[in-house]
Amino acid sequence: MEEFRQPIILGFVALYMSICIWVGIWAMRRTKSAGDFFVAGRGLGPMVVSLAVFSSTLSGFGFVGGPGLVYATGLSSIWMAVCSALGFATGYYLIAKRIRMIAEVRNSMSLPDIVFARYGSEAARLLTAGTILLGVLGYLATQILAMGLVLQSILQGTDMFADISLVASVVISSTVLIFYCVTGGIVASVYTDLVQGIVMIIAGALVVITAAHVFEGGFAEATGILLANDGEDIMPFGTLGAMASLSWYFLFGLGLAGQPHVATKMMMNRNLSDNKIILPMTVFGYVVAAMLWISVGVIMRALVLGDVGLPLGNADQAAPEFLSTYAHPILAGIVFAGLFAAIMSTADGFLNIGAAAVIHDIPKALRGRSLDNELFWARSATIILSVIAATIALYSGQLVALLGAFGWGTFAAALVPVVLIGLNWKQASARAAVTAISVSLAINFAIQLWAIKIPYGISGGFLAMLSSMIIFIAVSLAEEPKPLPKDIDRILEL
Amino acid sequence: MKPVYLLKPIHLVFALLLVIAGITIFVLISDVPAGASGTPHPTIAGLSVGGDGTEKLSAIGKAPYYFQVAVILLAGTLLYMGIPAHRRDRLLRLCFGVGIAFALFVWVMLFSGYEAYLATGQTRVLFGFPMPTNWMFWGIWGSFAIFDVFYFFAFRRYFLHPDDEAAFNELVREMEAEREAT
Repeated sequence: MEEFRQPIILGFVALYMSICIWVGIWAMRRTKSAGDFFVAGRGLGPMVVSLAVFSSTLSGFGFVGGPGLVYATGLSSIWMAVCSALGFATGYYLIAKRIRMIAEVRNSMSLPDIVFARYGSEAARLLTAGTILLGVLGYLATQILAMGLVLQSILQGTDMFADISLVASVVISSTVLIFYCVTGGIVASVYTDLVQGIVMIIAGALVVITAAHVFEGGFAEATGILLANDGEDIMPFGTLGAMASLSWYFLFGLGLAGQPHVATKMMMNRNLSDNKIILPMTVFGYVVAAMLWISVGVIMRALVLGDVGLPLGNADQAAPEFLSTYAHPILAGIVFAGLFAAIMSTADGFLNIGAAAVIHDIPKALRGRSLDNELFWARSATIILSVIAATIALYSGQLVALLGAFGWGTFAAALVPVVLIGLNWKQASARAAVTAISVSLAINFAIQLWAIKIPYGISGGFLAMLSSMIIFIAVSLAEEPKPLPKDIDRILEL
Repeated sequence: MKPVYLLKPIHLVFALLLVIAGITIFVLISDVPAGASGTPHPTIAGLSVGGDGTEKLSAIGKAPYYFQVAVILLAGTLLYMGIPAHRRDRLLRLCFGVGIAFALFVWVMLFSGYEAYLATGQTRVLFGFPMPTNWMFWGIWGSFAIFDVFYFFAFRRYFLHPDDEAAFNELVREMEAEREAT
């Protein structure tokens, strides 16, 4: 079977992409309005929502960048994964119920709509939409680039496509993504997320079993090699140290609820009571899929430090190298499909909220109403955003890295105080929201633009988020409490 | 002075954020030993090594320990804020107290295990990983997974009480009636 490795992998990836296209065609019939396109008419079941939430949280980073980080720096980055139980808890304790209630009462279609409903401020809505657009472009560009690179590496392993270019690979993979996002909107996005989530769980579980058998003595033997070579890498804080790891725990644990592509999905469930089972299912899915991140990184590092394997040219090759060397061809096929699933499930969520920001939120903030014929413009905006992101990914050089790094920390710092605290504290004010978003953007931009190196590896996103949370509460406390609209006031009581 | 449980949660959140900021500022202005966030591997490009863990903590001491204590307390308080004020009862406070105490216990075990490793260079390997790493994998994740489990079992009592759901449905009806009237 080994001689058919590349065709098998290609077959699984082609099958997966065909399913995405089929879902797009199926979802097109269910998408009749902008409400359907952006929030699926708030009619999704708990299984779909939970898998959509977890799969869009664990992007291609978890399947490629994560193992690469463990290979390069030991267990430091695992703090981004072990915080998931806290991250999803904050999401469901603090925002899931209220965001869904406001969405129903105000007929909201996006997170900026929720922010406007809560604060009654067009400035807060505009800043939220602008933050989303900036973060989306960056995240989307990195996801599109990752898709292209992975497809190129798979196709280059075959005789027929040995010379395929990166541009062609980006065009092929983006076409599939754009097709199902344009035809089916969020309906296609969440139902492909369902498939993608299942593939990611299977891939995560199978890879752990494979990784445990690379060394005869299992993970204990790998740990022995790492302890003998450095030791810090296999201890809880990895090579980057305690403050770097803990700042990531803060940023990712408390910042998850501020991710707009995750929060938006919390508006889509059919019944409020579905949240009861959505939370545990989400946590379960995430933890199984994230095991790939830990196990592949640890094994690849031990192989190289133990002189069993050759050093990698690039840390991000850890997962592809592991799959091509140690995984059964069928498993490699499933995991490569899982990798596309992880990337696409995040990218489609970003395309959706980005399109909402462009055609719904920003026009509403600037001229008091959204565009006419929203569904048509939503589809057009989805195509335009994809093309811009693909262009950035292919031709911007440093910009893509800059924008990509900007993503999670930007959302967390700007939106956590405004959404997570603001939906649970009546005194939170519009001025505080505007100030907190502005300050967080300024800090994040300054750190990224001037490449400021923070001592002890502390995350810049953490500093921005901590600052914005403090400023948000301080400004709100300094102001006289203002009465809230009747519906929002009553929802914040529930 | 009011007992902690009588303070408004937002005030406790604000105080804990200031404590975290204070510890962070202390770390930022402390001396930075060489290799504080790892050093490149001497022969393998793209790999970093941790080096001397004791040296890395020499200037900041137990700052990371207290930092995480404050973060755990902050996380617990934020989660508590998510439960409607009129549903917060003594049993809830007890459950949260136990949950947060467990999270703190896990953190103490993790950090003290790591300090013991730094002091002796020895550690026990269990389930394929060093003990402090096990506390991180299962303990740090598990201590807040308990809150996820609590959400499931206490959903109707604390998170969406039938009376609150009825009140929300009533609000939806009122808003629809208002919309139709206008």
